[in-house]
Amino acid sequence: MDDIEGKILSNSSIAPGYHLLRIRLSRSMGTVRPGQFIMVKIPDGEVFLRRPFSIYDYQQGILTVMYKIVGKGTEQLSKASKGTSVLTLGPLGRWFTVDRRNIPVVIAGGIGFAGIYSLIKKLQGKASIFFGCSSKEEIPLLRDAVRFDPLIATLDGSYGFKGNVVQLFKNHLKGLKGKNVEIFTCGPVNMVKSIKGLIVPHKIPCQVLLEERMACGMGLCFGCVMKTTDAEEPYKRVCKEGPVFNLWEISL
Amino acid sequence: MGNISIKLFGKTLRNPVFNASGTLGYGVEIEPLWSVETMGAYVTKGLSIRPHHGNPTPRVWEERHGMINSIGLQNVGVDRFFDTYLPFFRKKRLPIIVNFFGFTEDEYVACAEKIKPDRLIVALEMNLSCPNIKAGGISFGKEPSMVFKIVKKVKGVTKIPLFAKLTPEVKNIVDIAKAACDAGADGLTLINTMPAAAFDAKKKSIPLKGGLSGPVLKPISLRAVHECSKAVSVPIIGVGGIMDAMDAVSFFMAGARAVQIGTATFIDPYAIPKIIKGISDYLDANGIKKIDDIVRTAHGK
Repeated sequence: MDDIEGKILSNSSIAPGYHLLRIRLSRSMGTVRPGQFIMVKIPDGEVFLRRPFSIYDYQQGILTVMYKIVGKGTEQLSKASKGTSVLTLGPLGRWFTVDRRNIPVVIAGGIGFAGIYSLIKKLQGKASIFFGCSSKEEIPLLRDAVRFDPLIATLDGSYGFKGNVVQLFKNHLKGLKGKNVEIFTCGPVNMVKSIKGLIVPHKIPCQVLLEERMACGMGLCFGCVMKTTDAEEPYKRVCKEGPVFNLWEISL
Repeated sequence: MGNISIKLFGKTLRNPVFNASGTLGYGVEIEPLWSVETMGAYVTKGLSIRPHHGNPTPRVWEERHGMINSIGLQNVGVDRFFDTYLPFFRKKRLPIIVNFFGFTEDEYVACAEKIKPDRLIVALEMNLSCPNIKAGGISFGKEPSMVFKIVKKVKGVTKIPLFAKLTPEVKNIVDIAKAACDAGADGLTLINTMPAAAFDAKKKSIPLKGGLSGPVLKPISLRAVHECSKAVSVPIIGVGGIMDAMDAVSFFMAGARAVQIGTATFIDPYAIPKIIKGISDYLDANGIKKIDDIVRTAHGK
């Protein structure tokens, strides 16, 4: 892990409010594992703290980040053009661990897909993929996962199943009975909560990648915590002990 | 490279640059980037007699020239800190300054009593910005009389040199500094974060109230260091918005013997080693032999 300079190769809109950013790094980041993230900033910009982004893809010195414009930091980033210098600190955080004996199921909501795509890629079609979003406008997010036949839900019914992704997954839960399923998920808190509610009776193992506002990204400031079931020290750092947590160990 | 070591309470420190409490985790987290013993001393995360869980999120908020935090003093407690982390600093032979706090006078005293003198411990640093629960939640550091009382009590139970870390949100920080020194404080750390609020106009809400840090704080801190160092003779550690070596040099000139770096590390994780090198380069370029030769040189000007 280190702070590495890079130059923007492309930074284009892939759906309304969503961008795909490609950065050529000046040197190797080392091994990147699914679920890890980086802290990105544009030096001398108006925003001075770095912003955390999941590593969507990293190969041959090119780092790819898929992001949603949600605030000042991402808004500034979305305006950065080709050739802009950036600083990337990473790779950071604990990653998804895959037990080959289990049948993987991936559930992603909206931009949560960006956090889990690297795992989908690693599983090479072995995972059943459930993706949910608001409308067909966000379907382009799935561009690189279409080859793995994801099941899609839209809230407005403009594409695929009408409803949320957890309802869609519920329809398939019966077929998974008696199998050693493990769920990997990333998405809005309400989605994760309703997954938890759904699978409580089935005691299905589940790893969840969480988002939180961060300052340092490397465990220094304790700014990005998630409450867990650990009675002695309940607040764990999303950047250090996470961002991937065991769903059954966090208090949602 | 010029000699930038300093002497503090009879101990020689490699350089006058430390982290600000709570901005470098437990000291182990930065190791992938640079060795923590690069610093003159490590200042611990604020420790309390019992583990403290801290606040729910959001805990951090970016402002134009600073940030607001409300971590809520999360820490593993003084016992677990010494069991788990002291061996790491001992192995590295890195001197430490133990920052601690309490919500009652008894908690401060109990915590100070727990920390036994050790070759590795340069000093204690007591955080006086905490709310005094028994006095309706007003911070210990707000009134000279309260500062005098609590510092005196803590000094009564420890032989380790004691820094009092003061809050800037007071009528007259010089009066507070004098009260702390009159009560026996061996040094001052100036200053803690400034109480502030983030505001979200779109949502018409205040997402976070907490302590403001970062470059916005530097002039406030420099004034405190300048004024207090004229009024008291104990060593002063300057902290607040130091971003580069010239900022650090400004603090020495204003009267600080050492500096602490906080928010700068979040902006550039290499800020501390860069500042250390920059101070050394500054001394070399100006033919200055040691840090103490520039300390207080702004006095009378």
